[in-house]
Amino acid sequence: MSKVGIVGAGITDCRGRWIEATYWDLFQQATRRACEDAKVTVDEIDSVVYGIYNDIFEHQAIPESSLTGLIGMANKPGTRVTSGGATGFYAMRTAAMEVASGTSDLVLCVGGEKATDCFDPRSKSATPMVIDTIAKSWDPFYEYPLGATASDSYMQLCMAYDDTYPGDIGDSEVRAKIIEILCHSGNRNPYAQRRDESVTADQVMTSRWIIAPFLRLLEACMYTEGAGAIVFASEDKAREIAERTGQPPVWIRGIGAANESYSPGRGGNYKPLNRIASDRIAAQQAYEAAGVKPSDIKIIEAHDAFVAQLMITMGELDFVPIGQTRRLIDDGIMLDPKDLADDEAPGDGQLLINPSGGLIFGGHFVGGSNMFSAWSCRREMINRQVPLGLVHGTGAINACFGGAIVLELDEGGAR
Amino acid sequence: MSTPQGQPALPADFNLESGVSEIEGRDGETYLQFTTHMVTFYKQTYGEHSRFFMALRDGRLIGAHCAQCDQVMVPAATWHCPNCNFAEMTEIDLPHRGVLAYTAPITIFPSASFLGDAPFARGYVDVAIDAPIASFLPSRLRTTTGLERPGIFVKGTELKLVFEDERKGSIRDIFWVPMAEVPQGLRDKKPLLASELDFTTPEPPTVHKDEAKVTALEEAIAAMHQLAGDVAKSRRAQADLAGRQHLVGVTTGGGDFSIGVADSRLSIVDGIPDTAEHTLVADDPAIFTRWVHDGSLTDAAVEGTLWLPHKQAFQLLPILDRLPRSTRRDLRDENK
Repeated sequence: MSKVGIVGAGITDCRGRWIEATYWDLFQQATRRACEDAKVTVDEIDSVVYGIYNDIFEHQAIPESSLTGLIGMANKPGTRVTSGGATGFYAMRTAAMEVASGTSDLVLCVGGEKATDCFDPRSKSATPMVIDTIAKSWDPFYEYPLGATASDSYMQLCMAYDDTYPGDIGDSEVRAKIIEILCHSGNRNPYAQRRDESVTADQVMTSRWIIAPFLRLLEACMYTEGAGAIVFASEDKAREIAERTGQPPVWIRGIGAANESYSPGRGGNYKPLNRIASDRIAAQQAYEAAGVKPSDIKIIEAHDAFVAQLMITMGELDFVPIGQTRRLIDDGIMLDPKDLADDEAPGDGQLLINPSGGLIFGGHFVGGSNMFSAWSCRREMINRQVPLGLVHGTGAINACFGGAIVLELDEGGAR
Repeated sequence: MSTPQGQPALPADFNLESGVSEIEGRDGETYLQFTTHMVTFYKQTYGEHSRFFMALRDGRLIGAHCAQCDQVMVPAATWHCPNCNFAEMTEIDLPHRGVLAYTAPITIFPSASFLGDAPFARGYVDVAIDAPIASFLPSRLRTTTGLERPGIFVKGTELKLVFEDERKGSIRDIFWVPMAEVPQGLRDKKPLLASELDFTTPEPPTVHKDEAKVTALEEAIAAMHQLAGDVAKSRRAQADLAGRQHLVGVTTGGGDFSIGVADSRLSIVDGIPDTAEHTLVADDPAIFTRWVHDGSLTDAAVEGTLWLPHKQAFQLLPILDRLPRSTRRDLRDENK
């Protein structure tokens, strides 16, 4: 595989609802910012990969078709990727592969979502309709008719983990402390949806139940409207662009992906509901491809749909042992960004996890959330001069889709 | 989603008035929004799943068995084994008892299609227990002891399969109850019908009256009167209550009162009039003070400190829970 680098990134403001813009404008904003960041014009870009999760949200069956001309990609190849919560990850994987194969030198990967125009006539609010739209991710024969939702999908997994490994993610105080740190991270992200909020561990532990007895309101991600774009380049092109921008390329050092079976069960290829095997397989592949160990990595942008799931994910990614993921807090492994200068690298035994504020405080525009993570991971690696970072994505029913990308800062390093 | 046979697939009130309206952006400018929909109707085939659903109609639970790897797939999602080069699988009858594979979540905030069903429990049931490889059946879980709540459906709970009396060919034709709740004589019955179990309202709990609770109730009533006054000044809170009419009695360890909702207003009434639609029970009246101070009646119901006679009684709680936040936001905006 030839070398692939990230040379530009841009995201929109993350909002609960964008009244001022449709997804056309959001995708254009992200594209414009990524092009500005890479100091390229759209004419230089060879092709585009779109990450759009759900046609029902955009209210158009081929939403990327209306975007093509508006983002300057007319008469170029365009591929749309949709893979649940992992849409952004799979879109970036597709874009990177297109460069690695030699098909294109410069590929735009742009993803986003316009989620909260949905409206439920009976409750006269958006949320039940948004939940229903996501619930359509379940099959129409067995699961959807039972009333399955995204929250209880992730929570049944977390509760199954808690059955097997009691006393780990089940400690609400540990989860609340992680939320407090994520809140501080969100406060430092100028694009974060909840950048002005101040949430304490006590508030988390007394917030309302969403799924009893395991998920409270302040432990869940948000619905976000927004978009994010990443520009991928071949090695020569990346070095040429780095000359223009003065920013070092951030190289894709390894990618791993795995999707588990839809059905939970015992043995065979059924999904073990008490683990996130897709995260583990994807991460191991990515580490192997990159020739690195988890202990070499200090900055992680992981897909935190829910904080209990983030803890399991950190275990599956091998940063803490499964069953002892609470050590993130107990052993002080998870850094509070307040304790670190903006250009300071995490020390030994410390991890900067979701410095963007993650999906809980930063934003979760599903089709582009993993681009949002990649944007942040690259930004932190450059600002802190940290050589390796990890971007993770998960999605679909019971978190059965997983992906991981190991990023490497160019040896030239300096800004 | 439990639309009876022959009724419209989409409920009549699941609709919006068409039109274009103005809405203010974060930048203070005026924008437009238009009402529209993306409804698609289906005559969706059950195809290869038809056998499974026809069996349910006949009061049987079937799975697909692979003679090569000995796995059992329930539901029979396919009749060709994906583990064994798509070898033909055969139909087997499955027992009407199973074990809950993992502790099940209780859904409190359902999606738009299931408003009115909450709280409800769903979980994965291990049915083909003797098979070395088996899928779990996604299942509706019910209790005969009142509302579905934490602590009932935990990993390893032995379960009995129950069939609805009238079945149409849907996964909702069946559900599971804890075996311990099924009378001995019915545990081996196949099929066991819902009408053979007693799902009628259990007896309300008794409250223990004392002076401290009388004082606590006085505080709660004062707080609720304050909230009712704020609702009268809050556009958001009135929108929360629009189109609703309720009179709900409450028995507590400090005495009785009622909560009224009419004309988009909240009222607190002494005692429980005969016209009350039902009565809730809470030994500790302080849960109502906590509600006014941004607590949650929904949480109290789920945690068991507020007893409800039936599921319909639950539906008003999330709406009442919105009121403290709605009034606070409107009063804050007013003070700006």
